[in-house]
Amino acid sequence: MRNHRVRGIGWAVAVCLTLLAAFPPAAATGAEKLTYRLKWLFNTSVVGDLYADVRKKFAAAGLDVTVKPGGPERDAIKELELGQAQFGVASADQVIRAMAKGSPVVVIAQLFQINPLQWIYRQADPPITRLEDLRGRTIGITYGGNDETIMRTLLAKANLTEQDVRLFSVRYDYTPFFQKKVDIWPVYRNTQGIFIGQKMMDGGEPVQFFIPSDYGIQFVANSVVTSRQMAEERPETVRQFLTALLKGWEEALDPAKSSLVVEMLQEFDKDTPRKQLAEQLEITRRLVKPQSGVAIGVIDRDAWIQTEKIMYDQKQIVKPVHVETALMPGFAF
Amino acid sequence: MLHRRVYQFLIVYSLGLALLLGIKYLLELSNYVIPGPMEIWMTCREVTRRYFADVMDTMTVAIIGQVLSICMAGFIGIVGRQTTWLGSFVKVAAYNVQAYPIVALAPIIFILLGDGFISRLLIAAMICYFPLLLSVLGIMSEPVRDIEHFYRNTGRLRWQLEVKIRAFENIGKLTTVVAGSATLAMAGTIVAEFIAANAGIGYSIRIALYQSDLGKILVALFLIGISLSIYQGLLEWIGAMVRKAWESQ
Repeated sequence: MRNHRVRGIGWAVAVCLTLLAAFPPAAATGAEKLTYRLKWLFNTSVVGDLYADVRKKFAAAGLDVTVKPGGPERDAIKELELGQAQFGVASADQVIRAMAKGSPVVVIAQLFQINPLQWIYRQADPPITRLEDLRGRTIGITYGGNDETIMRTLLAKANLTEQDVRLFSVRYDYTPFFQKKVDIWPVYRNTQGIFIGQKMMDGGEPVQFFIPSDYGIQFVANSVVTSRQMAEERPETVRQFLTALLKGWEEALDPAKSSLVVEMLQEFDKDTPRKQLAEQLEITRRLVKPQSGVAIGVIDRDAWIQTEKIMYDQKQIVKPVHVETALMPGFAF
Repeated sequence: MLHRRVYQFLIVYSLGLALLLGIKYLLELSNYVIPGPMEIWMTCREVTRRYFADVMDTMTVAIIGQVLSICMAGFIGIVGRQTTWLGSFVKVAAYNVQAYPIVALAPIIFILLGDGFISRLLIAAMICYFPLLLSVLGIMSEPVRDIEHFYRNTGRLRWQLEVKIRAFENIGKLTTVVAGSATLAMAGTIVAEFIAANAGIGYSIRIALYQSDLGKILVALFLIGISLSIYQGLLEWIGAMVRKAWESQ
């Protein structure tokens, strides 16, 4: 009898502990708990997001935000629908694909005004000054990725077909580029672009970049998204979140705070030398805030419409989704 | 045997799909998170032919990889069955090779051997070889005393006969292990394609993931599952035939 009672109490304690672990009590501060899912791992591309978190911008706005890193297997838009996150970062192609399949996603800010996705090539190679110069080159693309869509659009714009160039399937390993098997290689200009460029420079081969936006291709990159329900039913929370986030971005990209920001980045990205982090930060600044007068987060409506058109022309979506209906710039400005 | 494998797979796949659709409708999720039946059907019509060719490509590599693994495991199992220094050395070396996770080794393999056929084959063989080796070693190290005793006492027990006796007495176990290793060979090839290759169903799944297209992944899983079920059923059938032929001798 006594044994049964002891066992019963033991079970009850175990169940309570399990429940506590599964559903932890709200923080004593009473701040609203939110999850913000990034698109990629913690690196310089998310410097403003990290800064807002580390410098407690969200807490100051009365929000308890958990900033979670992204990755190739993460999709912020899916997490919004599943209720696992309230805010996230997604690229325009993700948003447009999601809309094409009925996802109720909305865009509340555009973080990158210039897409960091560019192509690196050796300065010793003939320069690419017009799209026709791509003819005959071996071009790296990630099949299924943004860069494939962008490159195919550029080729179409130059009236070049797949027979005029050699497309090479790209993965994380840069060896084919180092071995000169591939002439131009897709990189994120503000992260990979820096360390590959440095490596090439150390080997006596300076590099340059082929920038799609120079040829009129505006393919929107990282933007802040939330669900339509969240935007319509809790606009004040959205406004508070976005204000805190953009404040974080503004301060993180303030040249006066560079050394402080690099120090913070080093905490998250221990493998990248400080000097390279500083360079990455400088390039990120130019991509997020190309002109000093422009506020961070501005949604470039025309670029979004062009992105949709590119995807439609490339048969990435079967019918137009009218992406402009999902753009909600009002929360930031 | 074959039809049992196929319908068992169909039951498991249908249950999985029903669960996904149940979650979709219960949580009112869009087709972006979980595609609806119509979306899956449309995707099926669009990609089945292409994906089937990819699955066959992957399967070819997996089968060759599996045959290589069987030969390798057989050889090491036979050498390693001995209680000599060489036997224990071979066993330790074989275990050590497997101590490294394949995802860590794969990039090195792809850098050295490129992203073509050989890399996929090697990774498939490496993934399915170890369970095979363990079974072969287990079987070959275990004497069948009552039979071997006679030959040993009459001085007629040569190593070939010893191996034959042990294989014959455990043919059921060997067949099961070989059929089971087909799954590992297929999984190994898909992992290799996913990491770095430029062909096969693993590569197509990777592209579908880039595009967050669960419909394509569901079609790929169906084709992988059905092809593997047929192949495993065939292996079991061949095993049964071999057993019957040996018994009749």
